[in-house]
Amino acid sequence: MNRAFNDRESQKILDIIKNFARKNSLFILAYGTGCGAIEIPPTITSRYDAERFGIRGAATPRQADVLLITGYLSVKTLKRVIRAYEQMQDPKYVMGFGSCTINGGMYWDSYNTIKQLDKYIPVDVYINGCMPRPEAVIAGFVKLQQLIQQGKALGWKHYKENLEWYRQNQQKVIKNWRMPDYNW
Amino acid sequence: MNIWNLLLSAIVTTLLGFIIGVTYMGIRRKIVALAQNRYGPPIYQNFLDILKFWSKESNIYHGVMHHLAPLWMIAMAITILLIVPTQYGSKFFENLSFNGDLILILYLMPFGQLGMALGVGQTGNPNSAIGVTRGLSLLVGSEIPFIMALIAVMIQYHTTSVTDLVRIQQEHHTWIMFSSPFAFLAALCVLPAMFHAGPYEVIIAPAELASGPMSEFGGKYLGTMMSAGSIFMFAKLTLFVDVFMGGSTNWLWLIVKTFTVYLFVIAVGIIMPRLRTEQAIRRLWGWPLVFAILAFIQVALF
Amino acid sequence: MADLQKENLLLEVLKNHFNDKIFDLKVQRHQRVHLRTTTEQIEAVLLYLKEKLGYKHLSHISCVDWIEENRFELVYILWHPEDKINVLVKVDVDRLNPVAPNIDYIWPQANTYEREMREMFGIQFPGLVGRKELILEDWDDLPPMRRDFDTLQYVMENFEFRSGREDAQNVRETIAKRTGEEIPEFAKKYSR
Ligand code: SF4
Repeated sequence: MNRAFNDRESQKILDIIKNFARKNSLFILAYGTGCGAIEIPPTITSRYDAERFGIRGAATPRQADVLLITGYLSVKTLKRVIRAYEQMQDPKYVMGFGSCTINGGMYWDSYNTIKQLDKYIPVDVYINGCMPRPEAVIAGFVKLQQLIQQGKALGWKHYKENLEWYRQNQQKVIKNWRMPDYNW
Repeated sequence: MNIWNLLLSAIVTTLLGFIIGVTYMGIRRKIVALAQNRYGPPIYQNFLDILKFWSKESNIYHGVMHHLAPLWMIAMAITILLIVPTQYGSKFFENLSFNGDLILILYLMPFGQLGMALGVGQTGNPNSAIGVTRGLSLLVGSEIPFIMALIAVMIQYHTTSVTDLVRIQQEHHTWIMFSSPFAFLAALCVLPAMFHAGPYEVIIAPAELASGPMSEFGGKYLGTMMSAGSIFMFAKLTLFVDVFMGGSTNWLWLIVKTFTVYLFVIAVGIIMPRLRTEQAIRRLWGWPLVFAILAFIQVALF
Repeated sequence: MADLQKENLLLEVLKNHFNDKIFDLKVQRHQRVHLRTTTEQIEAVLLYLKEKLGYKHLSHISCVDWIEENRFELVYILWHPEDKINVLVKVDVDRLNPVAPNIDYIWPQANTYEREMREMFGIQFPGLVGRKELILEDWDDLPPMRRDFDTLQYVMENFEFRSGREDAQNVRETIAKRTGEEIPEFAKKYSR
């Protein structure tokens, strides 16, 4: 009995079922940081109806699977984002919206926004554009679903394994680091 | 009736209740989506949600009560589902129903929420505390007319057993819905509040309260709570159908009846905007209470 | 073009009342009057405008950094709801020792503006109540809106860019080259 559950093949089947459920039920925590927050309402309401894909808003980080970083991220907000991200339950995914999260975008020389989001938290999917339209957002979600199905969206594992490196980067920009431990 | 038979029937009933309840939730999402001119998620979406929550790999743990609250809820839901007679005249699905079970059901109904209140207290999240406060106020609001209506029915038919009520309706080929309409109206008015649907969703209020009591529950806890909610919903629907709409003798008929009632709840939810707590209680203690008192008068006079 | 009757009337009133304590008095355009005063007189001027002339509303206080002339310029923008006139009251503050009077007893909303200026420009308002941090958090560098704060240098020190941006061009320079415009010397140093 035990062997039947632990061998590779049954694990594979289990993984397929799990990934199917995960990919078709994405609860999003839309962290409306920048201009991009305005693209979320059309994406999830009647016009573009993201609920078709099982995408649904979650109210708190505890219930959410996907963290959306919608635009530029100031250092002050980054602190809150890290807290929200670490409170989410594994497996969790991050989507970065817009050129601001990719390389600073039009705020490239601003003293108060970070330039590369993936130095601070692991990003599974980037959507470029300034601002990505809802079609692009949904395309990003479909891409994320593909990654989940193939078992490649492993940012959360990466984060746990390289916590030191991420912490180093985070503490470099957040001067006054008063935060609880991981997954508090 | 031996113990294995009982166990088997309990498992079958629970599974059926779970499947029907979760499907109803999915249908509700679909109907809401259609009403909002959207395509909406597939009907089985809630199964996927629950499965996904169950396949989460980390679960935050705040303490014993936090750990027990979802279990408490699901235990309550299953107990009620087992006590409520789902099938009239079927030996297999008799489960735990006995004389006087209606009183026990009324007693058990608030338990899920009380357990949740305890669990929420341990998380220390202010949003949850507000949500639970609202939930308990709403519970007081909806429970009083509902219990009064049921007591009126109990007095009228001189029985406190749901099975007896179903038997009386089946034998006389009538529904209590018609023979004591005021009690039915009172119960129907508070029904949306008992499902926390539509205008009475102040408890969850995702925008302002961050989903209220659930805000600290994630992963498997939330999956359990969602399943418990679905089973509890189906149990309440079955109770309503049993008491007021003549119960049923097969599952298909039960599904038709419960879904009709649920459709009413969904429709009310779509049409009406959300009420504040005090408005909700004022509304619950308005006409439903009048109807309940009329039901008593009807009992006294006829 | 509307006649500037009420604007001119206001000028008369102000001139008679304050004589030489205010200067640079002029009607800039329809519905806008401009005047300049000193930090000693600013409270008197604002109180007079509010209590006697009915400029009830303080729309904004803004700060301009004139680094070449070594001064900050505070601009108080007042609005008269009935006469429909904006009055711009300007005050110069020394850049090395920036102290300006606190006016949040006249308009409570001034408190927020003053806290912002304290944070962003380092101007001190004696008697100002409120937490030190308004928008920034844990900021220990030069106040960031001062023009001698070099954002690019700060960014280069604190953040890293993804590679692939090296060919990015200076927009100002590119446009100036295309149109043959001469960039002034001060602009080269302090604006990008
Ligand atoms: S990428 Fe563009 S739209 Fe998005 S936050 Fe940056 S500036 Fe705004």
